[in-house]
Amino acid sequence: MRLLTHNFLKSNVKGTENGYPLNIEVTTINCEESPLDKLFLLNLLPKVNYPALRTAVQQISQHCVPPLPEIPEQLDVSDKESNQNLDHETLKNLHRVLFDVYLIEGWLVCPDTGRKFPVKEGIPNMILHEDEI
Amino acid sequence: EAEAEAEAQIDSELDAQAKYNKDTEHNNHNPIKPYHERSWKITIHTLGSTYTRQEQNEMRSKFSFLQFPGPVQMKHPDDEYLFIREVELDAMGGAVYPRHCKGEDGKTKKELIPENDARPPLACYFGRVLGNGTLGRNWRGSNRLFRYSLKKRTYLGPTSMDSELSLIMTNLAKVQKGSFAFDPFVGTGSILLTAALRGAQTFGTDIDLRVLRGRNPNENIVSNFQQYGLPPPELVRSDNSIYHRHFRKHLPLFDAIVTDPPYGIRAGARKSGSRRGDGEVRPVLEEYRYDHVAQTRPYAVSDVMADLLNVAAMTLVMGGRLTYVIPSMLDFNEEEDLPRHDCLKVVSVCYQPLQTELGRRTVTMEKVKEYDDRKRDEYLEGTWVNGPQSAEKVANIRERLIEAAKKKPGYEEKAAWRKQKRKETKEAKKRAKLEGADQGVNSKSPNSNDDSERG
Repeated sequence: MRLLTHNFLKSNVKGTENGYPLNIEVTTINCEESPLDKLFLLNLLPKVNYPALRTAVQQISQHCVPPLPEIPEQLDVSDKESNQNLDHETLKNLHRVLFDVYLIEGWLVCPDTGRKFPVKEGIPNMILHEDEI
Repeated sequence: EAEAEAEAQIDSELDAQAKYNKDTEHNNHNPIKPYHERSWKITIHTLGSTYTRQEQNEMRSKFSFLQFPGPVQMKHPDDEYLFIREVELDAMGGAVYPRHCKGEDGKTKKELIPENDARPPLACYFGRVLGNGTLGRNWRGSNRLFRYSLKKRTYLGPTSMDSELSLIMTNLAKVQKGSFAFDPFVGTGSILLTAALRGAQTFGTDIDLRVLRGRNPNENIVSNFQQYGLPPPELVRSDNSIYHRHFRKHLPLFDAIVTDPPYGIRAGARKSGSRRGDGEVRPVLEEYRYDHVAQTRPYAVSDVMADLLNVAAMTLVMGGRLTYVIPSMLDFNEEEDLPRHDCLKVVSVCYQPLQTELGRRTVTMEKVKEYDDRKRDEYLEGTWVNGPQSAEKVANIRERLIEAAKKKPGYEEKAAWRKQKRKETKEAKKRAKLEGADQGVNSKSPNSNDDSERG
């Protein structure tokens, strides 16, 4: 699972509205560089929840070798036009944190109920148990 | 002059191919020959009609103006050209206006029907074969599509989609470089794979954890992608019937949704929730929670499709496309039985006959209207214009086919014959095993358990 996916996942255990963003507990993590796809990234950025991305980066950075790059503390990504003016370094770093970090084993923890969703072999298991629906 | 232009184009293609061959690992059985030495042939396809060899050759001679310089070679030529004469076909793949009338046994063709024979075709197509779906060879002697054939795939399942249809589907959904493609019923990932082949970023979900994780780390969806040097898909185990409960509200995200939804018992259509009919749910004790295997219950096809269309309407960008396949039998009516959504418009329906009574439809829809959160229930209720009976027409087709076969005369004899055959094969195998075991032992004890003497 990469941070791209994490940005969209939430917990809705027993209908909680405060299940986003999920906290990340890392057991095993991998980094694999991929080339920057600028077009795809610019299309994607307006849909990304930036604060959640930043929090996620902070939660996993210590586990990454080499450590993850710094991304701006605050960034308004909602406007496609202004995103195009972002400097190349920032775009590269955004690409890196969104696409190049793989959580192989770990947990995604609901910030409201504490329910832990397992991540195994890179696949998060979000299925609710029958008493959580 | 047109000839020279065509020749120049073919030569430049040959140059490009020569470079491609150097870069790929594929063995080149036919070294690239210059255009004027390349052997060729024209294949004639006349679905629904039969033409004698002489009639076919007359068709071929009409293309003599092309003046291909090389020799004609019917077996494994360097270049194969295809001429397709299209006539109107009925639901079973036969011609609506057949050239010949049928003989008494209903099969052999007898005399020509002049009025039908004189009818102009619907269309004619002529082109060069670049790749052949199954075992054919193309003009470079290697088969591009065969490379992606399921036969070469490391991880397969009973629901894996053949590569040809996957490629067609991703084409219909306009998947291209830079697209974000989604398969909510990803299974073994065969459709997502072709999306990635076209340069898309891919995302797949499924409720079945076993199929997502594959047989082992070397035989799973990700290893299939690695086999072709493709970037891995993002995978999540989730329930498409509650997409909005797994994923936060987000702006339309996907350019294409391409999928083969589960249709009934064999494909195991399931959704989250208790299987108990009384609706009562037993709480999961805390100490067992992380190992607890969540119960899932049957997911009616009518809901599968309603949810699929709604998720598509919600998550597709404007102009984005949803392409899915449905099996259908003869009672299916495209006008009335296709599921609908206020935000989606049907762009195409491609029907493929499979057996006498069974066919497959590839449906493509396009998002034409923005999704309104408040209308969710309205959208879901409007899915089936004719009511859920339309969904029943595509559900559990395998079981329906078996039921239909049972009603046919001679079914019982056939079934008994099959049972007998299976028994014989089983016994033959047993005997062979024992004979092999006996040969390993020099002396036969008088009390040996000779199973082959039993029944």
